[in-house]
Amino acid sequence: MVRSYFRRAYSSFTAHVFDIPPRFMAFLFFLLLLTVPAMQLGSYVLRLLIMANIFAIFAVSWDLLVGRTGQISLGHALFFGIGGYTSGLLFQFFALPIWVTIPAAVAIGALAGFLIGFPCLRVKGPYLALITMAFPLILSNLVKWSPLEPIFGGELGFRSLPPFFPFLPFTQAIMAEYYLILLLLFVSSIVIYKIANSKTGIVFVSILDDEVASKACGINVTRYKIFAFTISSFFASLAGCLQAHILKLANPPMFSLDISFLPVILTFLGGIGTIYGPIVGSYIYVILDRYIMSILLPKAFESVGWTLPREFDFAKLLIFTLIVLVLIIKWPRGLARFATDELQNLEEARDLDERGPRIWKRYKKTKH
Amino acid sequence: MNEDLEFGRDTRKLNTEVKGGSAMQVLEVENITKSFGGLKAVDNVSFHIDEGELVGIIGPNGAGKTTLFNLLSCFLSPDSGTIKFKGENIIGMAPHKVVNLGIARTFQVVRPFRHLPVIANVMVALKSPRGAKKIEWLKTMERKAADLLEDVGLSELMLEPAENVGHGDLKRLEIAKALATEPDVLLLDEPFGGLNPLEVDFLTKSILRMHLDEPRRSIIIVEHKLYALMKLVKEVKVLHRGKKIAEGTPEEIANNKKVVEVYMGGPIKHA
Repeated sequence: MVRSYFRRAYSSFTAHVFDIPPRFMAFLFFLLLLTVPAMQLGSYVLRLLIMANIFAIFAVSWDLLVGRTGQISLGHALFFGIGGYTSGLLFQFFALPIWVTIPAAVAIGALAGFLIGFPCLRVKGPYLALITMAFPLILSNLVKWSPLEPIFGGELGFRSLPPFFPFLPFTQAIMAEYYLILLLLFVSSIVIYKIANSKTGIVFVSILDDEVASKACGINVTRYKIFAFTISSFFASLAGCLQAHILKLANPPMFSLDISFLPVILTFLGGIGTIYGPIVGSYIYVILDRYIMSILLPKAFESVGWTLPREFDFAKLLIFTLIVLVLIIKWPRGLARFATDELQNLEEARDLDERGPRIWKRYKKTKH
Repeated sequence: MNEDLEFGRDTRKLNTEVKGGSAMQVLEVENITKSFGGLKAVDNVSFHIDEGELVGIIGPNGAGKTTLFNLLSCFLSPDSGTIKFKGENIIGMAPHKVVNLGIARTFQVVRPFRHLPVIANVMVALKSPRGAKKIEWLKTMERKAADLLEDVGLSELMLEPAENVGHGDLKRLEIAKALATEPDVLLLDEPFGGLNPLEVDFLTKSILRMHLDEPRRSIIIVEHKLYALMKLVKEVKVLHRGKKIAEGTPEEIANNKKVVEVYMGGPIKHA
């Protein structure tokens, strides 16, 4: 009984993961992430990876809305901030435990996405991007507004939000948080991937490709767009409230333009419309931004005897903009998609049963 | 049945046999007018389509044929007049609702979903309420989509992304998409446009086959290629500058002086 179950599990693993190189790569990546806490890299690196996972949830939700449905949103910070602030409000005024505030924040974020969907349906393309960009800016000023300071906490926002594991010592708490958020990333990216590749996902792509033609196919375009907005905001606000509880802070910068553009950068790094691309992109981003440029580069400068100017922090965004610009020109499909395409090519070359240098295989492939 | 449908045979007989005489009006169009600025694209046109009828609409460039189709499929609403589908007024309805009532259309310029494989293009239409309802019991959406593609002869390209598929095949894909909702009225906007004679033959056959398979479905075809259309349809309506100038059987139309004048640009002088 048990043996047959394992055999079935093994065969389904072979069929669905092992034989598909990109998925197997993703599986190995996930295994690597599982073993990271055992590598004794220090709590700072774990913190970084926790942030990378949160950004990944955020960017994956953006990718479903923009890469698959074609509804360009430059205001995803709205849902991020709503998630964080709902958590903060519920803790501040009702002292609710963390296992209540997160579902409530996610529900309210999804509701916000549902409501934002309606005014946004009348406009398309760049106009939609501009309108969505306005909403988080409005909310950012609202929460900073001094008459509302008793409610939203003004410029400072909410501080000392409850952590996930208050009963654990510091190092173990970080490890537990890491695993929890890795699990949440795994679950939410699988859910989004499943939705994106379901029949509903096909309809999403049809709206991206040609809205008029999907209307002519009898598709209620409005309903599907609102559905996409709702799912996307659900996961974006999940990312927001997770960040609020990890940093124990919900403040107005959560609504800022930086947060709005973050998923754009991450998704273009990884590959738009792929769902797995933003995850890769967020790891690249966090390692580049928070590790190489914040730790390794200053250290390297110090070892030579120079000091980095303080203005370097502001130049980071510029550097990322340049990287994204180069990527859009060089590999418009993103790094992750580029890698999977290469893997696919290798696989096909192997299928042709060719031996020899790779260029020769390519040549043979075109001949066939 | 395929052998019976040899191209060039007088297929109009088959149409009457299938129809069997009982006629119910599916689509009633009364005095519709649509103008864009000062241009009257459709001017006071009325006609009605019976159940199971195969009708052609012809006319020179700019006659208002495509505008008429946009009006019938509710992508535009007329300035005046009524359009009734099975007794129900459809003016002002959302286009997707009209499709779910049973009027499907194709586009003159193909509009495939380029990121999707060919079979997924058809599955979009099957995901609509009417399309989903029409899938028979114990049949999956994929199976039904594959069957539809087989009907139009695209089975081999099923998994190919639509961006890699040629124009002639995309024309057929348009028809498969429209057929997926099993419409009562099928509007084909220039199905033969840009096809070579071989493809025209094939498409003529498949249109006839779909007409015979579903004898209660009315098909309206707008076309420029008269030689293909005249062999296919039983009744032709002629539009010119937004006005309906003639209707009748293909023979009558071919001998109609006014129609010939419109097409040739003036009365024909016999030498």
